[in-house]
Amino acid sequence: MSERPEFEPKIVAFVCNWCTYLGADLAGTTRLEYPPNVRIIRLPCTGRIDFNLIIKAFEIGADSVLVSGCHPGDCHYTSGNYHARRRWILFRELLQTLGFDLERIHFTWISAAEGHKWQQTVKEITEKTRKLGPYKDLYQISGVEGLEVLSDAPAVAPEALTGEEAHKAETGVPRSTGEEALREACRRLLAEGNVKVVIGYGKRGPVFATRPEDAEQLVWNNQCLANLTVYLKRKEIRALGRPAIVVKGCDERALVVLEKESQIDRKEMHVIGMACEGMGEAKCETCGVHVPRFSDEVIGEADKHPAETGERWKALESLLALPPAGRMAYWAREFERCVKCYACRQVCPMCYCERCLVEKNRPTEIEPSATAKGNFAWHIVRAFHLAGRCVGCDECTRACPAGIDLRLLNLSLAKAAEEQFAYRAGMDPKAEPLIGAYSLQDKEIFIR
Amino acid sequence: MYTAKHAMLYKHKVHDGQAHVFYMDIRAGGKGYEEFVRRAIEQDGAKYYRGRVSKITEENGKLIVRGADTLAGEPVTIEADMVVLAAAMRPADGVEQLAQKLNVGYDEYGFLLESHPKLRPVETSAAGVYICGACQAPKDIPESVAQASAAASKVLITFSADELTREPEIAKINEETCAACFTCVHACPYHAIEQAEIRTPRGVFVKRTARVNPGLCMGCGTCVAVCPSKSADLEGFTEQQIYSMVESLV
Repeated sequence: MSERPEFEPKIVAFVCNWCTYLGADLAGTTRLEYPPNVRIIRLPCTGRIDFNLIIKAFEIGADSVLVSGCHPGDCHYTSGNYHARRRWILFRELLQTLGFDLERIHFTWISAAEGHKWQQTVKEITEKTRKLGPYKDLYQISGVEGLEVLSDAPAVAPEALTGEEAHKAETGVPRSTGEEALREACRRLLAEGNVKVVIGYGKRGPVFATRPEDAEQLVWNNQCLANLTVYLKRKEIRALGRPAIVVKGCDERALVVLEKESQIDRKEMHVIGMACEGMGEAKCETCGVHVPRFSDEVIGEADKHPAETGERWKALESLLALPPAGRMAYWAREFERCVKCYACRQVCPMCYCERCLVEKNRPTEIEPSATAKGNFAWHIVRAFHLAGRCVGCDECTRACPAGIDLRLLNLSLAKAAEEQFAYRAGMDPKAEPLIGAYSLQDKEIFIR
Repeated sequence: MYTAKHAMLYKHKVHDGQAHVFYMDIRAGGKGYEEFVRRAIEQDGAKYYRGRVSKITEENGKLIVRGADTLAGEPVTIEADMVVLAAAMRPADGVEQLAQKLNVGYDEYGFLLESHPKLRPVETSAAGVYICGACQAPKDIPESVAQASAAASKVLITFSADELTREPEIAKINEETCAACFTCVHACPYHAIEQAEIRTPRGVFVKRTARVNPGLCMGCGTCVAVCPSKSADLEGFTEQQIYSMVESLV
């Protein structure tokens, strides 16, 4: 017996049935040799290749992942690869933020006639992976130099870590107070009887006013941070009848997305828009909508066209400046605190599935335990399901009892959506949804 | 071919007229087509020149056509009353919008695409939509009629059976867990998923859900990948099967 080589890379390939799988077949029938390190999983179409599968492959110990399908325009199902391409563009961005080694994730188009290309691709990936070595960095905290910089998290995310303190430090109440006008509107709506419940801000948490006298409980001050649209999906609230909801310009974007996803019927509710010039939160610095645009009534006044103050992606900068392993270590350390309470899911207006993916078993798609594996899987899914949908209300970050700056993941996807597709969630009610649509012009620089 | 027909029709209407045809290749492939061209030349006296026209000028109300007869090796000059260009055939205007509406593929020229040139020549990528005639490619009458007959009989096959046979690999939606975001409805390349409502037998509204039309679904699985709650699944490539595969691989 010859001596066993030290490291044989394990490569998982997700390929489509009609092009790449046949290309690999052709490589076989034409007797082209390629390394046996690649394990092929055949799927009907690249459109079927879920990002979860890529994560799963790494979880079970793959050293590299290859995703391959038909060339653009050649899809057996006309457009599956276009849909896949758009998802990959966004998903790669998320993986980059999380510090995955992108050298280990390969995307190619290989047609049924390109047996040679298949051979070449597999050879190259195997060699490259052999050089890179086993994927040891995955979900690892230690073993990375230069992490000391991040050991005091504020360097990356000062806003999130200060929490309540930040609001107290912020003095100025929003210029447009309008509390009395809000109460008046509430009394009027409930007295008219058209509206059965007014969802608004109270001194401590939300208020669900059902009688005109309840209006006294409503407040409007610089503590009104929460995005109340999350309550619209609650069964208890829905049971009360036609709602009226108090929204700020930023919250209203959630309504736009929810309506687009047919979760709410805009005609079946009354929207009270509150003009707002910021609550002193990080999100407020870059808010583009001080005055609600689609509300049934707007209370107060604010600068209608706020200048884009501050750089929207500033929070990401220090994180992205780190090398991939450093980012991975940062997140691994952050996620180590995650106890999987799912508060981030509960407060998110966009997380409305009755059965969350994380509760699905047979198969268990997301490792349910609060381990590094399970926590990464959960946060990847949570962030990616919000791709092109997250309106940046930062409720997840505010709700997180462990103080994990989840906002950064959402930001990175929002950045990708805006830079690649000029798409900003909840801004244009007529825009096609980001996931579920595609364009022939989607950039595919990373696909060979 | 249609140039020969034009030449003949012209001769039948204008008996003392003379038709001249410049050609590079006579596209007369088909039963009796060669004879047809010969008839135009021999019976109806159309003059055929193998060569291109280099210049057309106007003199005294006449069109002076200068060209070459490459077979005879000499220049040709014709004083013509009318010059007809034998232009290429192209698809009708608006065919692309129609194709997009029907979800049928089309090529770069706007001709509709069949799902397989040899084995499924009248079917399209959309189940239940068949094509025939010049919308698919330039065609003459016999070919169009033949293809139309084929399409008609394909339609009759669909109607002749009580039930529709379909591929086994199609998507299904777990209506209980579907969150009714309808991302799949947007993503489905075949418009095979529709918005539906679940009602009790007495008609009380329970919830909204996405529902797959099994007759239209071709089983690409795009809906599975975009479904946030993974309520969509693809029979034959179920999540359970694929995850088992992945888990046992490495």
